[in-house]
Amino acid sequence: MDYTKQEFMAIITGREIKDGELIILGVGLPMLAGYFARSNHAPNLRPFTEGGVYGSSPVGGLPWGIECNRISANATSFTNAIDALGFLVLSGRADNAVIGAAQVDKYGNINTTGIWDEPPWKVGKYLPPRVRLNGSGGASDISVGCKSYLIMASHEKRRFMEKVDYISSVGFLTGGDSREKCGFVGGGPAAIISTLGILRPDPQTKEFYLEAYFPFTTIEEVKACTDWDLKISQDVKAVHEPTIEELKKLRAVDVTGSLRKED
Amino acid sequence: MQNKLLSIEEAVADYTWDGMTYCNGAALPVGSCSIAFGKEMVKQGRKNLNVICHCGSQQINLLAAVGAVDRVEVGFSGLEVYGFAAGLNRAVTSGKTRMEDYSNGAMALRFFGGAMNWPFVPATVSIHNDQQWCSADYPDEYPCNRKIPEITDPFTGKKYGAFRTIRPDVAAIHVTMADIYGNAIMLGTEWNRFEMSRASKKVVLVADQIVHTDCMRQYPNLVRIISEVVDAVVYWPYAAWPQASPGLYDSDEEHMFYMNKMMKTEADTEAYCDQWVKNWNSHEEYMALIGDEKIEKISKTATAFLMDPYRKWIRSDDEIRELQNMTKG
Repeated sequence: MDYTKQEFMAIITGREIKDGELIILGVGLPMLAGYFARSNHAPNLRPFTEGGVYGSSPVGGLPWGIECNRISANATSFTNAIDALGFLVLSGRADNAVIGAAQVDKYGNINTTGIWDEPPWKVGKYLPPRVRLNGSGGASDISVGCKSYLIMASHEKRRFMEKVDYISSVGFLTGGDSREKCGFVGGGPAAIISTLGILRPDPQTKEFYLEAYFPFTTIEEVKACTDWDLKISQDVKAVHEPTIEELKKLRAVDVTGSLRKED
Repeated sequence: MQNKLLSIEEAVADYTWDGMTYCNGAALPVGSCSIAFGKEMVKQGRKNLNVICHCGSQQINLLAAVGAVDRVEVGFSGLEVYGFAAGLNRAVTSGKTRMEDYSNGAMALRFFGGAMNWPFVPATVSIHNDQQWCSADYPDEYPCNRKIPEITDPFTGKKYGAFRTIRPDVAAIHVTMADIYGNAIMLGTEWNRFEMSRASKKVVLVADQIVHTDCMRQYPNLVRIISEVVDAVVYWPYAAWPQASPGLYDSDEEHMFYMNKMMKTEADTEAYCDQWVKNWNSHEEYMALIGDEKIEKISKTATAFLMDPYRKWIRSDDEIRELQNMTKG
């Protein structure tokens, strides 16, 4: 079947989203996954953006930004950051979210801020990065506030790291009960959906292990693309391919095909 | 009430200065932003700015690209699907611009605290991570405890952080429509513009349309920025271009990519400024530069119906020119 890794990742992420959830969606793949889920199996999904755009669906293709006119043409309410990120997310009210990551570590901590040759934690100094990324945006708020959330990331060794350069958004910190001790209202990441498979946190250690891999890859390849010693579930299985129906619904959201080209 | 209409040149001359704490009034990186005001700041050579960039935007991208920004506080510095902000990132990685990172929610709370004139607000986010531990102001301290210091909840004994609140010297806030006194309606998400308008010591509105005050009297609930906190009003249609203004125009996709590409190097930034920033002396020339074809294309927005209730109150260019002359001398 003809589909891209990104499309596959969006469909698998969409399958994790449940009907009725109050969900905050970032632009790009997260929005695609969310609106795919709504049209596929979650008709009562309640998506909103961190700008406080409620009740809307994208028109004319995936939005360029979470406040783009493509997501502002049929909204039922426009509010603001205090409302969306404060009253609905930091308060602990939102059920779910989908966020992206440039780097993610084995405890689901995310870096979207910068890449350093010598990261701050290693040298004990905060010097300018070699590459500046975007900063956390609302993902940091989601990581502490949402009841649960999903992480999407491209599965490469330089991105799936033992320890990220900079923690922009917290996952399970150093594992075990280290997150719980911080007292965040939100529950932490439920899964990492990568371009190769699905990773889940171990209930005790909170280390992410491979639960399932995509049909076009192997366990060996997934391990080779992971910087930490990735543990494999005893029941590990290949994820079933997207159905024609699923792809059709996905592409009805991504009408301009922005995610149909491979990166 | 006082007629506060000013030309963009006057507003920048009167309300900005070197070394100030400046805030771009915007609704996220693709939408509403007072970009025309930032361009005028570049024209007038403002420098050493401390920018409260509560969201990335082409305005901050440009100001940093020309080397006008010494320090910046951000929640998000990019241009969403249009990519990383090339000019801002060049200034940060070269060490020219110090950048302090927070979450987007943190920035909103810090404006709220500033509007309340509170010394700090409790932080339940941007703690236990590198936003707390890393400070560009104190680069030798890691983990830093001065940027978001730990505090104790006096009721439960639990540990949280404290955010420094924000009181910018001036915010130039983009709005869809304003009256000549500074009452304004914003279509689309407000992002932080409501809190910012109360947190800033001075507020300049940059409005795509000027409407009669009767419009405000018809929809008073929608007037989220009030004349009481506004110092000046600049009339500048397509002020957010190449970004979008819901109800009026879409983002200019081609120019968004082009502008960001040009911000990558100092030489290209200069070439860009010569052609697109310094090459006009009136709004007519600014419009001519964008071009009729482009104006027509971006104005065909799926959000145009949002403007329908307000159209009958829109003031004509002639009317506004006359009103603007009244504020002179």
